[in-house]
Amino acid sequence: MTVKEAAPRPQRPTITEPVWVRWLLTAIALAFLGVFLLLPLAVVFIEALSKGLGAYGKAVTEPDALAAVRLTVTAASISVFLNLVFGVAAAWAIAKYEFRGKSFLITLIDLPFAVSPVISGLIYVLLFGLQGLFGPWLNDHDIKIIFAVPGIVLATVFVTFPFVARELIPLMHEQGTEEEEAAVSLGASGFQTFFRVTLPNIKWGLLYGVILCNARAMGEFGAVSVVSGHIRGITNTMPLHVEVLYNEYNPAAAFAVASLLALLALVTLIAKTAVEWRTQRDRKELVEIQESLTP
Amino acid sequence: MSIEVRNISKSFGKFQALKDVSLEVKSGELVAALGPSGCGKTTLLRIIAGLETPDSGSILFHGEDATQSSVSDRKVGFVFQHYALFRHMTVFENVAFGLRVKPRPQRPSNEVIRQKVTRLLELVQLEWLADRYPSQLSGGQRQRIALARALAVEPKVLLLDEPFGALDAKVRKDLRRWLRRLHDEIHVTSVFVTHDQDEALEVADHVVVMNHGQVEQFGAPEQVYEHPASPFVYNFLGNVNLFHGRIVGGNLQSGSLKVAAPDALAGEERAAIGYVRPYDLDVQRARTNGSTIEAIVQHIHPVGPVVRLELLRRDTQDSLEAELTKDQFRELALSVGEHVFVSPKNLHIFAADYAI
Repeated sequence: MTVKEAAPRPQRPTITEPVWVRWLLTAIALAFLGVFLLLPLAVVFIEALSKGLGAYGKAVTEPDALAAVRLTVTAASISVFLNLVFGVAAAWAIAKYEFRGKSFLITLIDLPFAVSPVISGLIYVLLFGLQGLFGPWLNDHDIKIIFAVPGIVLATVFVTFPFVARELIPLMHEQGTEEEEAAVSLGASGFQTFFRVTLPNIKWGLLYGVILCNARAMGEFGAVSVVSGHIRGITNTMPLHVEVLYNEYNPAAAFAVASLLALLALVTLIAKTAVEWRTQRDRKELVEIQESLTP
Repeated sequence: MSIEVRNISKSFGKFQALKDVSLEVKSGELVAALGPSGCGKTTLLRIIAGLETPDSGSILFHGEDATQSSVSDRKVGFVFQHYALFRHMTVFENVAFGLRVKPRPQRPSNEVIRQKVTRLLELVQLEWLADRYPSQLSGGQRQRIALARALAVEPKVLLLDEPFGALDAKVRKDLRRWLRRLHDEIHVTSVFVTHDQDEALEVADHVVVMNHGQVEQFGAPEQVYEHPASPFVYNFLGNVNLFHGRIVGGNLQSGSLKVAAPDALAGEERAAIGYVRPYDLDVQRARTNGSTIEAIVQHIHPVGPVVRLELLRRDTQDSLEAELTKDQFRELALSVGEHVFVSPKNLHIFAADYAI
């Protein structure tokens, strides 16, 4: 590839506002960000450490807190895995094939975004709770879903449903089906085509979807709160544990656990930025290829 | 391997892409499917490859029905219009792909793959690009890599969809001659799709001209060009002058022109159109024997070895285009506004109800 020289910045003659207006607008935006995003984030860490490092360490390592971390990680990894498989399958079907009911499927995928998480939690209570549709049968067979780990996983899967699929559909759509057709015409099987051609082309978009999905899965409160039953050390995820501690007038411990979630958010942001940077580079390459094809 | 297309029809929703198309490609031939965009030529190619399934009809390879076989079973090499190179693989890996995905028992060793890929890259004269990625290649280079990749699996049939469509004029010309030479070397039965008549006439052994999902004519390039079977083919392959008129008493009467009509049309009085190529118009300063049309020279365009004249018929006010050689033009010494007498040397008459 030829060495790319730094292109001169394009002139924007349309921006004619005086300097002070520009500064003012920038300042307002920064102040807003500071008050609504950075300040709360700082408060979380300040409050968490307000009783010293020892108290912080104790708060995050006590058995209930560790159980909450474990449950959160379990629920998140199961739902990320399930949504990864489902998301790729759904995006593949939607982007590469034409079939009846396609737009209905897309709408269905968006459903979790449209309903309040509390309602999605409630749906599972109404389905699997003791008074629910399958409640008596489950009770007879001694299967616990609501107020137990399976319920939490179900609620998390539902809420994080759209992330992977939504990320992949436009990407796969843009890439079209020609490469897959080429692979098949060269004798590749469906599996070979997927793992050797499709997957490498979508890997960054997929990773991006997984990161967002994971962040949401770990931070989910509403839906999980409804189905959890708040049994300390057993059905409390990290966000629920934070709430319990706070309601017990133990803000330092609550903020200590909250700071773990805040750290997760920061890591997510960094990972997201890194992946975004990669996908954009890939996408730019794709655009360059397409542009060079049209004489 | 020969290809036989039998009565293929295909619709996409309400749009009928192919209507009862039949075609026979003999083993080792290079055939061009020529037509305007939307005429169904690409659909036909994709059906032959197995990338689309026909609504009805069948495809035979070497006399055996292959309509139900899968894409990979057909052993067809397909070169896509936009090449469809695997963008995350090097040129080498692109060409090696078809060998690497073979089932384990048939898969050649790495050493054999390396030799074969190197040989193919030499064949397309791009061995020095083996480690590059597709995004680092020019359009013409990508096209040749796509071809090498398709040839790696030793296909019995090679199908090319607008192989030169996305290239500029100079590269197109070089590449199509190169394709012809390559075909003479490896002799694999090939079909390529194009909307460029020069490309089809220059490269192919046979040309199938398509329009609105139907085959208009199938034949050798000279035959298709010299003896078009329909007004569409006449129009599509090069420029043509139209003489609208009526068949009266066995002759086509168009303004002051009167030409004998073929027997098939001569029977009854009807509307008809005569078709004449610009170089088949005889232009003279003086009225000659036989039927002529008086016209006024409106424009003179010298283009390379020929001179194109735009003429206005004095009888019907229609315009005509005539093509003279430089010598003929010099002899006549015409200038704009002068009167000339035009007579068609070679006129094909079709009934006017034959829609174009």
